[in-house]
Amino acid sequence: MRVLWSWLMELVDLPTPPDPAEWVERFAMLGLGVEAVERVGDDWVFDLETTTNRPDWTGMLGIAREVAAACRGRLRLPEVRLKETDPPAFQVAWVEVADPGLCYRYVGRVVVDVKVGLSPPWMVERLERCGIRSINNVVDVTNYVMLETGQPLHAFDLDRLVGGGVVVRAARAGEVLVTLDGVERRLHPGALVIADRERVVALGGVMGGLDTEIRAETRRVLLESAWFHPAAVRRTARALGMRTEGSTRHERGGDPERARFAAARAAQLVQELAGGRVLRGELDFYPDPQPGRRVLLRPDRMRRVLGVQVPDSEAADILERLGFQVERAGDRWSVTVPSHRRDVEQEEDLIEEVARIFGYDRIPETLPVEILGVGSVEPAVEAERRVRQLLLRAGLSEVLTLSLVREADLDRAGIPREHPLHRAVPLRNPLTQDHTHLRPTLLPCLLEVLRTNRARGNADVHVFEVGRVFRTASGGWEELKVVGMAQMGRSLVGTWNLPQEAVRTSFHHLKGVVESLLEALHVEDWELRPQALPWLHPYRAAALWVGGQPVGWLGELHPEVCERYDLRDRAYVAELQLEPLVRAARWAPQYRPLAYTPAVERDLAVVVEGSVPAGEVVRVVREVSGGLLEACEPFDVYTGPPVPEGHKSVAVRLRFRDPARTLHSEEVDRLLDRVREALRERLGAAFR
Amino acid sequence: MDEPVRALRQRATQELEAATTADQVEEVRRRFLGRKGELTRLLRSVPQLPAHERAAVGAALNQLKMWLETTTNRPDWTGMLGIAREVAAACRGRLRERLDLVRAREMEQRLRAEAVDVTLPGRRPPLGREHVLGRMMEEIRDIFRSMGFEVVDGPELETEEFNFRRLNIPEDHPARDAQDSFYLDDQHLLRTQCTAVDARVMPHRQPPIRLVTVGRCYRRDVVDSTHMPVFHQVDGFMVGEGIRFSDLKGVLAEFARQLWGPEARVRFQPSYFPFTEPSAEIAVFFRGRWLEIGGCGMFHPRVLETAGIDPERYTAFAFGCGVDRPAMVRYGIDDIRLFWENDVRFLAQF
Repeated sequence: MRVLWSWLMELVDLPTPPDPAEWVERFAMLGLGVEAVERVGDDWVFDLETTTNRPDWTGMLGIAREVAAACRGRLRLPEVRLKETDPPAFQVAWVEVADPGLCYRYVGRVVVDVKVGLSPPWMVERLERCGIRSINNVVDVTNYVMLETGQPLHAFDLDRLVGGGVVVRAARAGEVLVTLDGVERRLHPGALVIADRERVVALGGVMGGLDTEIRAETRRVLLESAWFHPAAVRRTARALGMRTEGSTRHERGGDPERARFAAARAAQLVQELAGGRVLRGELDFYPDPQPGRRVLLRPDRMRRVLGVQVPDSEAADILERLGFQVERAGDRWSVTVPSHRRDVEQEEDLIEEVARIFGYDRIPETLPVEILGVGSVEPAVEAERRVRQLLLRAGLSEVLTLSLVREADLDRAGIPREHPLHRAVPLRNPLTQDHTHLRPTLLPCLLEVLRTNRARGNADVHVFEVGRVFRTASGGWEELKVVGMAQMGRSLVGTWNLPQEAVRTSFHHLKGVVESLLEALHVEDWELRPQALPWLHPYRAAALWVGGQPVGWLGELHPEVCERYDLRDRAYVAELQLEPLVRAARWAPQYRPLAYTPAVERDLAVVVEGSVPAGEVVRVVREVSGGLLEACEPFDVYTGPPVPEGHKSVAVRLRFRDPARTLHSEEVDRLLDRVREALRERLGAAFR
Repeated sequence: MDEPVRALRQRATQELEAATTADQVEEVRRRFLGRKGELTRLLRSVPQLPAHERAAVGAALNQLKMWLETTTNRPDWTGMLGIAREVAAACRGRLRERLDLVRAREMEQRLRAEAVDVTLPGRRPPLGREHVLGRMMEEIRDIFRSMGFEVVDGPELETEEFNFRRLNIPEDHPARDAQDSFYLDDQHLLRTQCTAVDARVMPHRQPPIRLVTVGRCYRRDVVDSTHMPVFHQVDGFMVGEGIRFSDLKGVLAEFARQLWGPEARVRFQPSYFPFTEPSAEIAVFFRGRWLEIGGCGMFHPRVLETAGIDPERYTAFAFGCGVDRPAMVRYGIDDIRLFWENDVRFLAQF
């Protein structure tokens, strides 16, 4: 709402002349946020942000009433003195409301013998400073009165209304209207329209029709000032994708009393500026006038809710200055709400009114007596926090990516159409082509991070995101928390003199991160199983199983996907579901006694067929060795002479220990014999 | 007879000076002080010398000892034997001294050869960096937790019921315009405000309740330097007997001071939200201007009623603050899209 300072000052009587510079702050403290202040000549224009609950603030008078209340001044209403002439308006035109659910009050005024022409400069200037273009003196009056009162008005060329009147009704299927802006609009059944005997002539409260607009030859004008149902206006405007000065005002709901005042005020101004005669009386559809609402206010409760001692007298004074009538009866005041404040419905609304004018800045800052307990964090939030911290410690940086994707992103990431991860949840009303679906996986988002960085020459990228993904599921959607990781480039900083192969990120670097996470969460029952996934290198990919359930995947990005993202390097990606990980985690580990007896270490070079994974060797060793085996770790994998063709040598280091006594060498040797035997039998192993 | 002593001294001097390794020093020791060493033999011969020669040899040995040792002459060296022992001891001392020197030189040489260039970059795994918004959200959780709030979580995919209706925003309410939403179907949407979590959690609890949640929200905003369709909010509320508007001011002012510094000025201005009454907007004075950080107010009685809480007995305040824009101001970031691009050069700055 653009407020012209000089205009505002015409509408108030204040005890001391106010300084506009000071009002930047004061408007805000009344709840009128100042978006911008402009100096225009010797005048000021305040662009005020008015809240949707205050229809009265869409007009200068509403703002003026507020200023007067805050400054203990008086509102100066423009004087309306109509010179009415016969015949009575009802003999010339008619107004009908077919559906009272759409319209609560409709006031019509008829002015005849008008001379449509230019508006006087003062009005053109005011309109323009408030952001409205001058059209002609009649249309300008409707806009001017709207700015003044907040009441949207419309002027029809009465001679073009078939049957000489209007009816407010719901649109019927197939009806069409060319609006003032020249656009032909197909109306949805139920839209709020104004019609004459034959056709729709305006969208109620939104925009008039082209055919009945005021033009140079117009002689007789029907002025409309109505209270349309806010929801009806809103639905009508939205369905057509329209938003006008009128519709935004109607949507807030107005003041039915104001409608009548505005009609008279407009008639007066038309007569003044365009000549003509105002016909006697108004056409007023207003079947159900409501008396002012009465709301209970308990001053004690008010003071309790606000936490400040506002004296009764001050509270009553504030309300009265705002136009409320206060009947004080002990601690139960009966407050009558004026028609321009239909937003005030209950006690809390009155409490706010008192607080607002009393001044929020005069309310002290206190701490609630109830703050006694210690705060806490819900386990799911805490788990997410820990996972973040662990991945940060593992050297990955946190990223945040948009949860909105399009299907093409999933295709690009190499997820086949039929794959469950391609089942993205579609938005019914996406805003752009880039954001049509909710992400079913972090993969495309993280690949986009890699691509952006690669394109800008950032070759070393190690990132993770803890976030939500959304998938279609039977009977709806599911929302899952996952952790995604992506790495490429060098895995170390400060790599001078180091051989490339020791420095480049590999599958096992990514696996290392996953291991760190599992170790830190104390997840013990897990394993990696080789598993080909379409977006991964088929021989460098695995599924993570925890407690017998698959919980995620990791691997090297498929070279074709790599190429599509122009990464020019190998990349490694993983995605794990958070919930099963968190469930398998041990959050309060128990102490296990340390062993102080000496350990015995033995190395074993196991020659097996090339296809046997090292993990199998370790598994057999573990199974056979029993409780004395403390650790078994592969430390070298070798192919080439003298290891036979198609075979490899897996060297493992075994550490034995008995916490209760020192092991004998022979004992360990016997164990080792059993291990060899088992490896030979089960894996066809030979030994070097 | 002092002639052999002098010669001995001269040779010992030369050889010791020439010895540059520990092994060579040992060799010198053996030659002079070993069982068959020259000094040993000389000393052994002293008792057999005639008395008149003894004095001369004695004096010479004394000189040798003085050279060998730094200590001055001592009066108790009366007997030749005593002198001889002292000489031997002093000689060993001199040797040890030389040995220490040589060893120190050897060590120095070895270590010098191992010198590193301290100006070369350190070797390390890359440092994991918190996203600046992630960090800010953690900070916010910590602040409210320290004020006795329980930190909870809720779904991003919400129902109309919790996102709007239970917050006193019926259909056709103009407030829905300001929160243009992404819908999945008639009933489901992406939450436009974390206040939805309040509505979701409240019915399951008994006052007093103090809750806060931090997370993602969605609105149909066109992407530009200050808008994204996805953003973050912190939202919380407190229900109890006798919760006052002044408490709201106190708690949020404390929050602002924790986040923006102890001297931060906080301003509360009247505003409007369908789910609070009275309502206020909160702003913080930072780097010379007022920064709007969020909205707040006393929960509307209808919201409490809907959640099964008696608004006559209990009062409640609620608040919702942005995270992204305050973070931009706090860190001097001029384009909101930087948060979402995740350029590692950006990530590494925080």
